[in-house]
Amino acid sequence: MSLQNEKIDAVECSNTVSDPSVWFGATGGIILFIVSIIFIVGGIGLGLGSPFRLGTGAFPFITGMILGALSLAICFYELRGDGLASTPDWIGFCAICSALAVFALTAEKLGLVPAAFLTVFVASLPDRSLSLVGKIILGSCVGAVCWILFIELLNLPFKPFVGL
Amino acid sequence: MEILANFAQGLSIVLQPENLMYCFIGVFLGTFIGVLPGIGSLAAIAMILPLSFYLDPTSALVMIAGVYYGAEYGGSIASILMNIPGTPAASITCIDGYPLAKKGRAGVALFSTAIASFGGGMIGMLVMAVLAPSLAQLALSFGPPDYFAVILLGLVAASAVSNGGALKGITMVVLGLMLGSIGIDLTTGDQRFTMGIPELRDGIHIVIVAMGLFGVSELIASIRDNKKGSATQSIDYNDFYPSKSEWKSLFSPILRGGAIGSFFGALPGTGQTIAAAIAYAVEKRISPQKKKFGTGVLPAVAVPEAANNSATQTAFIPTLTLGVPGSPPMALVIGALMIHGITPGPRLLTEAPDMFWGLIASFLIGNIMLLILNIPLIGIWVRLLQIPYKYMYPTIIVLICMGVYSLNNNVFDIWLTLIIGAIGYVMRLYKFEPAPLLIGFVLGPLMEEHLRRSMLLSRGDAMVFFERPISATLIAITVGILAFTAYKSISNYRRFKTSSSQLTK
Repeated sequence: MSLQNEKIDAVECSNTVSDPSVWFGATGGIILFIVSIIFIVGGIGLGLGSPFRLGTGAFPFITGMILGALSLAICFYELRGDGLASTPDWIGFCAICSALAVFALTAEKLGLVPAAFLTVFVASLPDRSLSLVGKIILGSCVGAVCWILFIELLNLPFKPFVGL
Repeated sequence: MEILANFAQGLSIVLQPENLMYCFIGVFLGTFIGVLPGIGSLAAIAMILPLSFYLDPTSALVMIAGVYYGAEYGGSIASILMNIPGTPAASITCIDGYPLAKKGRAGVALFSTAIASFGGGMIGMLVMAVLAPSLAQLALSFGPPDYFAVILLGLVAASAVSNGGALKGITMVVLGLMLGSIGIDLTTGDQRFTMGIPELRDGIHIVIVAMGLFGVSELIASIRDNKKGSATQSIDYNDFYPSKSEWKSLFSPILRGGAIGSFFGALPGTGQTIAAAIAYAVEKRISPQKKKFGTGVLPAVAVPEAANNSATQTAFIPTLTLGVPGSPPMALVIGALMIHGITPGPRLLTEAPDMFWGLIASFLIGNIMLLILNIPLIGIWVRLLQIPYKYMYPTIIVLICMGVYSLNNNVFDIWLTLIIGAIGYVMRLYKFEPAPLLIGFVLGPLMEEHLRRSMLLSRGDAMVFFERPISATLIAITVGILAFTAYKSISNYRRFKTSSSQLTK
């Protein structure tokens, strides 16, 4: 059983070793290392206090030190090539992020109903199986349901439309 | 007998119409989100949290718990009908659930999982009612160093078994601790890492972290996978009830699954997925039908379901008695309670017995509701699975935005969710599991507080952690876990090196 596992491991490793994502993995370690430096320096700046009376910066300083050590270990470890968990879906990623941004930009300026409509519309953009009319209908339905549910029933402090 | 009296008291609280309604909302929404593939109980709880802040603490806890175990019931539906686990723990159910569905026995499989989940839930509830009070009694003697050690053990245990490997898991926990230190330091009143942004003064809200890491990033990850198809299986209601001999074959697997699940649910860091996997492995060795496991037999679906549901209930034991969450969803429960001004710990049982026993009684009521939702009303969920995901995910995004916005009526929180969600998705790609980060985030402030208090009490002598018997034992266990995982990953690394050098030769 363990022999079999080893074989599988070896095959997997040989497949991923030349993968460019190896370097991305190490980049993750470097980013974490930078974060740890920020916390260590920031912690010292905030004041470490004494062992008796730990200061504001003591906990960030200690965790920063630990993260620094771990991030170096990750840089080293990642070079063996763990590979990606799945192929990234950047289109979906952009659609969802833009949808959130659209909601943030429009919720207070245009009101809840247009914001919900636009959010749904943007989020569903990458889906080709849903026609343009379908997207508009879906957006309108969600907008209407939000209006009824959140404003009329739950009384959240939202305006359905602004400037109308 | 005291337990019975307490339980009756709890029952009287849950049976109040208001709590009954929130319990139902919880289990219904939990099943709903659990059925949707790719979105697990964490995202479900994150979405319900903003709503729970408007309720009184007991109702809130009952509702959140309902979402949690409801999602486990729902998760099995998608795994049996579509071979896509609705929740991670349900992936074990797929192994035999989907072959059963292909044989045309989806109805029986769904019925058995509902019964098994109910049985497992009841076992978990009994274990909690018996064990929690004595554990709380023990924990009353804990001082700050002991708490620090418990939290340390919880954090290490939770990260050492993370999917992406122990090193990344522990890194995520530490990152969570650091994220948790953002905001005003409650001891000195100084601002930490707020970068002058007033919205960050109170720290990052737990809902934002959870929605970003689980809601947003799970949604991105599930868009593509869910285009593949929807459930086409129709359920034959004539073939819904197991035969007499099948009933008999289910009984002891449910008991065993429930017992194994209760044990692993209460341990910090293990949780339902491991409980279900171990219960399945054990059953595969001792079941009279063991040779047929994997081809679609009923005990093989019942065992993991009983285990994951009992683990779901016993996960509340360390959460409520020690204030240390055994699993990421429990970290959210602690976060929710703290927002209500309640610090979970040994005093919770004596100071808020109504809440504690109300919660336990709600397990009974909630599981009965789920039985009704999952057996006579199974058709609703099957139809829900037939709704194309393209209608679902844009709607969920709007719900996430609404939930986050309603925290402070501030769009800054939505931007923050966007950033955390984007980082969470990229982290997932590189196998950095976000779940340990959440545990670190919740426990960070508590850990810091106990560290400071311990140092103050010992007049700055760090040896205090090794001198008290409880904390010394806990730290020894923690070091043991760390040493074991380090040994394992180093030997894996060596093995990789030798095998890759052999390949290149």
